Amino acid sequence: MKHILVIDDAATVRLYHRNILETAGYSVSEAINGIEALEKALVKSYDLYVVDVNMPKLDGYGFLKEFRRHEDITQAPAIMVSTEAGTHDKALGYAAGANLYLTKPIKPNELLSYTRLLLGDVA
Amino acid sequence: MAIEFKKNLAVFSDFVGVEEAEALLEWLLKNPKGKINLADCTHIHASNLQVLMAVKPTIAAQSKDEDLQLWLSTLLN
Amino acid sequence: MNSLLEQFLSEARDFLQGIGEKLMQLESDPTSTPLMTELFRFVHTLKGNSGLFDFPEMTRVLHASEDLMDAVRNGRVGYSQKLADELLEAMDFVGVLMDEIEAEGEIGKNHATTATELAQALRSLISDSKVSTPVAEQVSIDSFSEDGPAVKAISWDELPTLNLAETVAIELYRCAINGDAVFWIEYTPEPECFFKGEDPFFLARQVPDNAWRNAILNNTASSLVEMDVFSSQLVFQFLTSAPAEELDDLFRYVPDQIHRIEIPALAFVKPIGNTDESVIDDDFINNTLLLLENDDLDGVARTIKTMLELSAPELWSSSALRWVLQLIELEPQNKAAQRLLLESLRTLTPPDWSTLTHSVQINSITTNPVISVDISEFPETLLRDFHTVINAQREILSLPANTSGEWSVGRLKSVAVSLIGCYRAINQAHEVEAIDAALQNALAENSPTPLLTWLESALTNVPELTVTEEDPQIATIFPVATQNEVKFGRRVEDTTAAATASKTLKVDQDKIDRLMNLIGEMVVAKNALPYLANRAETVFGVRDLAREIKAQYAVINRVAEEMQDTIMQVRMMPVSFIFQRFPRMVRDISRKLGKEVELVLEGETTEADKNIIEALSDPLIHIVRNSLDHGLEQPDVRLAAGKNAAGKLLIRASQESDRVLIEIIDDGKGINPDVIKHKAYEKGLIDEATLERISDQDAVNLVFAAGFSTADVISDLSGRGVGMDVVRSAVEKVNGTVGIESEVGKGTRLYLSLPLSMAVTNVMIIQSNQQIFGVPMDIVVETVRVPSIHIQRIKQKQTTVLRGRIVPLLSLNDLLASNVAQLPNEDNEFATLIVRVHGEHVGILVDEFRETVDIILKPMTGILGGLAGYSGAALLGDGSVLMVLNPRELI
Repeated sequence: MKHILVIDDAATVRLYHRNILETAGYSVSEAINGIEALEKALVKSYDLYVVDVNMPKLDGYGFLKEFRRHEDITQAPAIMVSTEAGTHDKALGYAAGANLYLTKPIKPNELLSYTRLLLGDVA
Repeated sequence: MAIEFKKNLAVFSDFVGVEEAEALLEWLLKNPKGKINLADCTHIHASNLQVLMAVKPTIAAQSKDEDLQLWLSTLLN
Repeated sequence: MNSLLEQFLSEARDFLQGIGEKLMQLESDPTSTPLMTELFRFVHTLKGNSGLFDFPEMTRVLHASEDLMDAVRNGRVGYSQKLADELLEAMDFVGVLMDEIEAEGEIGKNHATTATELAQALRSLISDSKVSTPVAEQVSIDSFSEDGPAVKAISWDELPTLNLAETVAIELYRCAINGDAVFWIEYTPEPECFFKGEDPFFLARQVPDNAWRNAILNNTASSLVEMDVFSSQLVFQFLTSAPAEELDDLFRYVPDQIHRIEIPALAFVKPIGNTDESVIDDDFINNTLLLLENDDLDGVARTIKTMLELSAPELWSSSALRWVLQLIELEPQNKAAQRLLLESLRTLTPPDWSTLTHSVQINSITTNPVISVDISEFPETLLRDFHTVINAQREILSLPANTSGEWSVGRLKSVAVSLIGCYRAINQAHEVEAIDAALQNALAENSPTPLLTWLESALTNVPELTVTEEDPQIATIFPVATQNEVKFGRRVEDTTAAATASKTLKVDQDKIDRLMNLIGEMVVAKNALPYLANRAETVFGVRDLAREIKAQYAVINRVAEEMQDTIMQVRMMPVSFIFQRFPRMVRDISRKLGKEVELVLEGETTEADKNIIEALSDPLIHIVRNSLDHGLEQPDVRLAAGKNAAGKLLIRASQESDRVLIEIIDDGKGINPDVIKHKAYEKGLIDEATLERISDQDAVNLVFAAGFSTADVISDLSGRGVGMDVVRSAVEKVNGTVGIESEVGKGTRLYLSLPLSMAVTNVMIIQSNQQIFGVPMDIVVETVRVPSIHIQRIKQKQTTVLRGRIVPLLSLNDLLASNVAQLPNEDNEFATLIVRVHGEHVGILVDEFRETVDIILKPMTGILGGLAGYSGAALLGDGSVLMVLNPRELI
């Protein structure tokens, strides 16, 4: 089973993502900020990261930048989820190491479709 | 008076202004079966409109003003 | 309610609390960047969460709050009192909405006006400090996503639900297609507009080119009698094709009351009619779709016209077919829309245009080439998403290298993995090899160019789409995957990592209470074991068994005690639970009173049982109110007395052994004992003799006496009379005590001492008149045996002298109104409990002392609940019931 790490400080959002992804048969872990996400990601490589931007302690950009520096374990794709639709924010996300930049709120089908694409799963 | 209150009928004429709204509501509360004659009425102030919308009395005669009639016939049904 | 909504509400309340707190802190430190950042994050996250649900009123207000906080954070708007007030009000509103959601599952319709007003008030704070923003732009902030051409079109979710007659809808659709924008206008007059001489209905009647219009009454009064006719409760709605400038001009005096959205043409395409039957079958749909794919629009039109002649016109399917004809005529190029509409005939549900416009947007705004793939194999959405992801990777690879000129391995690899995933997802696994090769080159060169080159070629060379059932080349994937696993070897299943994701668990309180009750029963049940052991030995004569039972009992006893301890820990709550409302309360009250108050909270992390904390809440609020009202003086009075203009109010919690001590200390004018004395005398609470010799401290304590406080007293006194007896009885109900110290001109200190937990009560069992009773140990000072010769009668009352102090003696039998004398022991001594009641020592004569036990005290309910002399009952180990006395009430 593919394992996805959902990183968001809002428990509601984590549950929302978890519901969607688990229904589709993925296994989901959670982290509440960039620091916790790093602690987890550096121990276990997940197949996909769903990363919020604005978080306490370490934000999504910070997490991705640091995470992508760890050469051997960081090939997994990352979806950055933000409330900002601006092109500037999007470029920042890509520069930090995101592979896709989505704007909240994300529809369940949308999240699922992108997840399957990035993980190479046929629906 | 822009509204003439009869026994069971309130007759609106010309322009019914904001000052009539309170009396209209009172009359409608006292006469739950009171009907409204709008034939000679051209416009009612929004305050009267909301009273009529809240109470929805029977319209005895529609306004001859076509536009007003259109508005009120949908809103008071 | 579903769990996601529950989670949302629970988390949202935390955020509201947090926002309130941060605003308070910001008030004393208005330039603190960390505070502002934190505040912004709270509002931002809360808004994001609310967006997951359909609560537009809530989201609107939060969105405005977020924009405002963003402006504050970026220094575009300065922090001000007004700003804090507006934000607090907005958060209160959000709280109200949440209550409603919790109770009703949805938000009532009557909040739209308030939401808009609040949002506008917040936005006006932003625009005040800028050049004033034109109205149209302001509206667009509300109804449109902000920037970038990609989101120029409005979100479909925000469109109003249109229920129009088909002819009207067709007319509007044609308008919109022909380039005449069709606007949805919602005009919400402000409630007090009648007083400004406005007539919203008159204005509404002036809206030109109406295709549809309506008015809604949001009557908030519960009955017609209470209806406020002079407060506008109307909302007008229009669909109009009038030019925007004309509408702006019409509403130029009330721009803030107008919500305007441009409706895209397709939104009108909504078949209506009878869905109970349909003459359309799949063959017809498939054939028509085929004609459509072959660009035979004439053929499509012909087939549909024939079908329409065969069907009843009022059917939903007929309506849909008529719409297809409209689309073919007016949008012959928009095949996707035509296809979607035809497909909708299969389910007889309106097509979801949002899926379509999204892809239309992407295709129309992106300059990126689009790979054309055989559409029939995959759902359209998948291909759209495929392009989105592929183009994202292209964008990533086109970004300049980071500042140090290096491309991190992780980024390159993740792009390759993403590409591979995409191609696998659409069964194009044979590309994997090429992608992998490009990646290796890219890694070797530390440059994105090889990958980018591959991607560009893939995008220009339309890939052959020969999709077979089992693509043998999929196999090439697996080496990559397994290689990764071996190479990185980190796929450890660590369940611990997942388990620590959330360290706190929110549990329904009922469950905890139930658990506590069960543990309580277990404690009682376990107490039966010593009895059993005793019976085994004495009745059945099996001493070994008795010993084993006792050994077993020791184990169970230990576990039960630990369980009890743990559940107590679970029920512990920090006093911050109550403290957190004080900053807001103190701020509001002091502002109302025109006083300046500096509130200091200490020891907020001190914990006590939830019931205690809850019982503490009202008395504490009472006390703080009193301090503000009557303790602290007006700034000028304070200055005249040589104090700081701002009064200081300190609320401190601390733990003293097994009790929580709460102190409320102010530096106000204090309580004048002379005034109290005389008032108490006038009220008949003390006699003249007492008036003469009562100490100052005792006089101050009189504020707690029942009947002391009345409204006319407060105005003369330093004011601490109000309901202090109520405070005392509330505190004593949970076995707490309350005290007061005051110095005239210097201030007052009130303190509450409460048990940490009230779940387990330690009681002493006593015997009187052949019955046993419990007496709470916390009021028992000591137990003594008083020889009968040492009992003196003073004026009908029995007393004795104990360590040089006269102690009044009361017989328990008398207190319980049974006319039986207490039994002394062989030495003619009476067993006497010395208890402390209202600060005085009193002796209670009983027949005999027994052991002390821990019990779970259950308050008595029903008729017995009215017996004030008892604080409750408990089950003993042998199954008998122990009545626990409440000496405070008894005496």
